Amino acid sequence: MKNYPIWKSFTVISLVLLGIIFAIPSIIYNENSENWFLKNKINLGLDLQGGSYLLLEVQLDVLYNEELENFSDSVRLISRDQAAKIEQIVIAENDVIVTFSDISKIKDIRDSFFQMYRGISLQINNNKLIIKLNDDYKKTIQDSAIKQSLEIVRKRIDESGTKEPLIQRSGKKRILLQLPGVKDPERIKDLLGKTAKLTFHIVDDENTSALNNNLAPFGKMIVLDIYDENIKYLLNKRAVVGGENLVDAKGSFDQTEGHAVSFRFDTEGAQKFGKVTTNNIGKRMAVVLDGVVITAPRISSAITGGSGIITGNFNAQEASDLAVLLRAGALPAPLKIVEERSVGAGLGADSIAAGQIAAIIGMVLVCIFMILIYGAFGALANISLIVNLFIIISLLGTIGATLTLPGIAGIVLTIGMAVDANVLIFERIKEESLKQTKVFQIVKNGFDRAMSTILDANITTLIASVLLFAFGSGPIRGFSITLSLGVIASMFTALMLTNFLVYMYLSFTNKKELKL
Amino acid sequence: MFGLNKIIPIDPNINFLGLRKNFLIFSILAVLISIGLLSIKGLNLGIDFKGGTLIEVSTKNTSIGELREILSSSYGDVSLQEFGNENIILIRLQNKSNQESIETVNSVKNLIQDKVIEFRRSEFVGPTISSELLFRGFQAVSFALIAILIYIWLRFEWQFGFGAVVALTHDVLFTLGLLSILNVEFSLATIAAILTIAGYSINDTVVIFDRVRENLRKYKKLELVDLFNLSVNNTLSRTIMTSLTTLLALVSLFIFGGEVIRPFALTMIIGVIIGTYSSVFIAVPTLLIFRFRPQEDED
Repeated sequence: MKNYPIWKSFTVISLVLLGIIFAIPSIIYNENSENWFLKNKINLGLDLQGGSYLLLEVQLDVLYNEELENFSDSVRLISRDQAAKIEQIVIAENDVIVTFSDISKIKDIRDSFFQMYRGISLQINNNKLIIKLNDDYKKTIQDSAIKQSLEIVRKRIDESGTKEPLIQRSGKKRILLQLPGVKDPERIKDLLGKTAKLTFHIVDDENTSALNNNLAPFGKMIVLDIYDENIKYLLNKRAVVGGENLVDAKGSFDQTEGHAVSFRFDTEGAQKFGKVTTNNIGKRMAVVLDGVVITAPRISSAITGGSGIITGNFNAQEASDLAVLLRAGALPAPLKIVEERSVGAGLGADSIAAGQIAAIIGMVLVCIFMILIYGAFGALANISLIVNLFIIISLLGTIGATLTLPGIAGIVLTIGMAVDANVLIFERIKEESLKQTKVFQIVKNGFDRAMSTILDANITTLIASVLLFAFGSGPIRGFSITLSLGVIASMFTALMLTNFLVYMYLSFTNKKELKL
Repeated sequence: MFGLNKIIPIDPNINFLGLRKNFLIFSILAVLISIGLLSIKGLNLGIDFKGGTLIEVSTKNTSIGELREILSSSYGDVSLQEFGNENIILIRLQNKSNQESIETVNSVKNLIQDKVIEFRRSEFVGPTISSELLFRGFQAVSFALIAILIYIWLRFEWQFGFGAVVALTHDVLFTLGLLSILNVEFSLATIAAILTIAGYSINDTVVIFDRVRENLRKYKKLELVDLFNLSVNNTLSRTIMTSLTTLLALVSLFIFGGEVIRPFALTMIIGVIIGTYSSVFIAVPTLLIFRFRPQEDED
């Protein structure tokens, strides 16, 4: 063992052993193991284990519009108090334009309006009052809406029984969800697609002309039936009580009514509900969910217990999903799914199997090729290549990286590229062997000369793959991770392990001349 | 051991640079044709960049024709394709307008529910997302090229950086041109492949440039053309070896890695071949533009 320091052999051997040992958890891959050691296994990406990736966008426009609606209602009230006549109110994308018949009261109205609301800008243009949302105000609405949405999405997903979901804000107005192992993405999407805004309103059955003309008077609104678009209801705009007063909801079954949702109000809700039902016996009470009437039963007696049931043409699943939605609470604004990637468990398993076969065959081909070209040295390089693979796997496992299908492609690619460093070294050794005959000197020069080339060549590949990580998304990041780890591991295995193996080989065979 | 390494002579002496004009013309033509193809025919953009809906199903002996019949009444522009074997079918739908929503996935699933054993995959990319992804992909490729240029510039003289970037741009355009001809689907994975090709091609170029630099120091009197030739020959067996092992791995990925990864593997195979070619025939000759030795004029 000429020239080979013991500390160096020790380092190489221990790193190799560590690489192999920490690859074990990923190779055994016991999914549910709680063992501290076996837990250090590779995480499979959604494309390999099956699951859903969803990107939701909070429909902020709806919120801004709601806010503008509020403004227009307030302006009406203020004008009524001040006996000013309004000619027209137009709600545009960003502002409300109120046109008055005369300009005498307009400044007073503006001032009283200004005291009610902060964060808006008011402008007078002749007989027009323009109410605008400020950017700061919008941002406040946006931030609180996203925060609330996140919380409610989390509750709904938890209630749906999904294991280990990842739910996080993404950018300004988006929410990103990763749901491993979801078998029925449609159900989840249904759960997320509903705002679940529940309100109870008294039905106005007297003013039939309003319904016929399809024109709701001030303070009322016309709402359609959920099952039949031809059925319309005229409701008091002001809700008796809303979903925010619910403390519990569950799916229930009633012999006469079929599947239903039973609910319970908190104290405040129960009081309001009790009072309104006492005063309106004989009238109908509409249950409105996301802008449509689910049911509108007649109030036959005062309901003071604070609980009740909602009936409709539900099946068991629908009733229990509605209960989930009501328990989790309403979203501040609707969510729109802007991207979905769902993979079934079958495709995931196929991808893993195909990736393994490709990796093994690629490996075997490269190994055969190396032996054909470089003989014994090729065999040494192959040992390095195999260790390289173990190191990639163990690094992926210990840093808790996620392996995706492109990630597997990255590993297969690494198998082909990792021998490059060895090839560079062997080619240098070949050249050196023409110049001199001292075996160990040849090897030493070969490694030394190849060093800077290896570094340069690998760093450029690393640059490309780091940028891929920075700008890539989802599965593509998996590719850049395995490629980067592969490049780093291949530098170690070539410069240290192959080096060590070549010295060992030469020492034991005691070769006097070197021909590659 | 088997003496196969003798196939590539230890000290080859091939006059690569002598052929540089032919290859230059070939490459310029190839790049121009590629640019033409990209602007006229364009790339076969997948749903990542075009938006739309993609559903992969395994069927119970249902033919493509049957599924098309069911779907075409509701979706005129539906495209169906066998994917790997005859029981697996890929359904693609374009986003009709900006209003297009996730509903398409649900309703397609409902329509064909009883013909299907498993919904293997369903993807929906909305119009805003697809344009964002395209922008980010473009960003990634440009930044990578710039970062690599800066690195080469720092490690070598700037002339080398120029040569490397010419070769790199050539590789990217040429590869994209071939993808356009072959109608290979252009997806997020293709962007990854292009970036990896950039890394690979530069890797190859750097190895030869390294040798050029070394030889410039070693052989002060040698003519530049001869010196470049010598450098390419010195590194030839390494260039061939590494390309072959990489191609072996990629071919294995292409054949055995499954249908989803195939366009990626194909792109990489094309890119590795072009990248290897350009390192020898484009990057090195480009260096001839520059006079590394001003004193040569005096000789």
